[in-house]
Amino acid sequence: MNVGIKKPEVLAPAGNLEKLKMAIRYGADAVYIGGQAYGLRSRAGNFSYEEMEEGVAFAHERGAKVYVAANMVTHEGDEQGADQFFKKLQEIGIDAVIVSDPGMIMICFEAAPGLPVHLSTQSSATNYKTLEFWKKLGLERVVLAREVGLEEIREMRRHSDVEIEAFVHGAMCIAYSGRCTLSNHMVNRDANRGGCAQSCRWKYDLFEFDNGETKSLIPGDAEPFSMSAVDLSMLHHIPEMIEAGVDSLKIEGRMKSIHYVSTVSNVYRKVVDSYCADPEHFTFDPAWEEEIWKVAQRDLSTGFYFDVPTERDQLFGKPRKIPKYTFAAQVLSYDPKTHVATLEQRNNFGVGEEVEFYGPGFSHFKQTVRDLFDEDGLAIDRAPNPMMTVTMTVDQPVEPFFLMRKAADKD
Amino acid sequence: MINLIATAESCQQAEALLDAGADTLLVGSHPFGLRLPHSLNLNEIETIRTMAHDRQKKVTVACNALLHNQQIDKLPAYLSRLAEIGVDAVTVGDPGAVFILEELQLPLPYIYDAETLVTSSRQISFWLKRGAVGAVAARELTLTELKAIQASVDKPVEVLVYGPTCIHQSARPLLTNYYHYVGLKESVAKDRHLLLRDPKNEASQYPIYEDEDGTHIFSTVDLSLMSELQEAYDAGLHTWKLDGVLLRGNAFVAIVRLFAEAARAIEQGHFIAASFCNRLSTLQPPTRPIGTGFYLKDPKDVH
Repeated sequence: MNVGIKKPEVLAPAGNLEKLKMAIRYGADAVYIGGQAYGLRSRAGNFSYEEMEEGVAFAHERGAKVYVAANMVTHEGDEQGADQFFKKLQEIGIDAVIVSDPGMIMICFEAAPGLPVHLSTQSSATNYKTLEFWKKLGLERVVLAREVGLEEIREMRRHSDVEIEAFVHGAMCIAYSGRCTLSNHMVNRDANRGGCAQSCRWKYDLFEFDNGETKSLIPGDAEPFSMSAVDLSMLHHIPEMIEAGVDSLKIEGRMKSIHYVSTVSNVYRKVVDSYCADPEHFTFDPAWEEEIWKVAQRDLSTGFYFDVPTERDQLFGKPRKIPKYTFAAQVLSYDPKTHVATLEQRNNFGVGEEVEFYGPGFSHFKQTVRDLFDEDGLAIDRAPNPMMTVTMTVDQPVEPFFLMRKAADKD
Repeated sequence: MINLIATAESCQQAEALLDAGADTLLVGSHPFGLRLPHSLNLNEIETIRTMAHDRQKKVTVACNALLHNQQIDKLPAYLSRLAEIGVDAVTVGDPGAVFILEELQLPLPYIYDAETLVTSSRQISFWLKRGAVGAVAARELTLTELKAIQASVDKPVEVLVYGPTCIHQSARPLLTNYYHYVGLKESVAKDRHLLLRDPKNEASQYPIYEDEDGTHIFSTVDLSLMSELQEAYDAGLHTWKLDGVLLRGNAFVAIVRLFAEAARAIEQGHFIAASFCNRLSTLQPPTRPIGTGFYLKDPKDVH
């Protein structure tokens, strides 16, 4: 028995209903989504109330939770209708809202008493007194700033019992969240109201005034100045996160694909389960890391958890070569007698190609596509049409919602 | 009554600023005060407090940093010392600092200053209900919004009438990391006066420096509300800050003197904006443009 170890929640992003379902099938204990307003991802596929209802029903049937991000930093008037919004979320059965603006928190308390509120990372909570402040106000959980180290989390845990959520995987703001308005000043897009133009990832010149004349400080052929960071991954340090007392392990990426969300959820589910099942004999399986690299978009680092990030945690020079995989198809059904799977195409693939099937519970196998038939049972070489239904013989049993990926076509 | 707030870098400059007409001096110490012209120790703060009180003026101490555990541990002792010294107020932006102020029950009022996060009257009301005596408005607000906010709260909303504003704080040493990567040795401190240029905007020049709190980037212009001071005043915006974080010594004092004169002209009803704007342009360092930032934009154009 593992007395003393509290199994944390694996929290995945869900940009739309399909991703929500896939994240939960692939092991997320909870997902966070955006509504039609008040969030920070204006370009992510956001949920209508009807979609939320379906998502909540799906999640609750499987013991999972759904949180709604409403973490906009409002200007005068932006808060209009927020009371009805929170009320509606509560009726739908949303498990919590993620908010950063204290004005919005108070609207939520009044309009939907009892609806749990989580403090968004946008508020950059970096110390235990801040945790106590929000707990005393009535918040259930605080999402920590990404600038907090593991030792600082341990210290917070000694002083506060409010739920702690911390990012474990994905892209990171280079600034303290909420304290960057580069995008406002450079392109009139309000970073704290969903307009972030990712100006931190641009290239800049660095210069000085020398006797009134501008003088560049970047040698002719050198890399321009940039603030762009590699992505966060705490894959190798989940035991430390759990032992530090983190209640929820957050994966970034409401804009990310089904392929990404299913893969990352699957891996973190596996690591958390493996560790919690037997902490003393836990060993890290390199296959987990291999799997993460199949969907990685940038190099990976541990952010601020162990130390202040150096130049190795930033994106300078040529990006690391990351093998790219494409989501090729989703399994609709499988006939164990004939070993034939029915698939829905998501990207062009064909006979002779090496593909990999993966499913919930971290099951995987690779094979070559040996045969392929269209809906009329006619043999075809390739499946070129989006969403077309095809059948093929598979080497191992699969189940509905298994996904099939292939190495991306070379550029 | 207009309250003209100016940052002070030293006891000497503090005295000059008071003589120039500043009503309140804003000073502070590392690691509690953020982006100060200079970190002052408690003895210096006490000297400045005496100087100010002798002239019936005030001193506010900046405690507006994003505080980590290590700093929050030391904050109660620091706040207690400030209360003993008898400073008039502190600025705070971290809710943990508000929690500590409530716990300690010191005779030390606070002004809420979370920079980019103070954008609505509801937010300000939230902090006023929890003891704040005022709030510092985000510089990303338009004058239209600032006026609406001031109309909705009964405590002063502070606006930046002159100076640069911080538009990015990273806890990472971004300049050091860059120079390590390219293998060059460069100073990255504030007095190095490094600037960033966005290649898509040739005229841009964002000041950037590193200190113990990380990397700070400032607006491409020094904001000035000089042309709109009358309108701001008429709308009840009477708390004006001048930030000398990037402008040292007498050059800053001269600008404070001009704004103090403008304040008196407004109070006496003979303010002529164009004349003051002209005089400001003669005092402004030639390599540093003046602009109105978001103040004159239509709120609808920023989203």
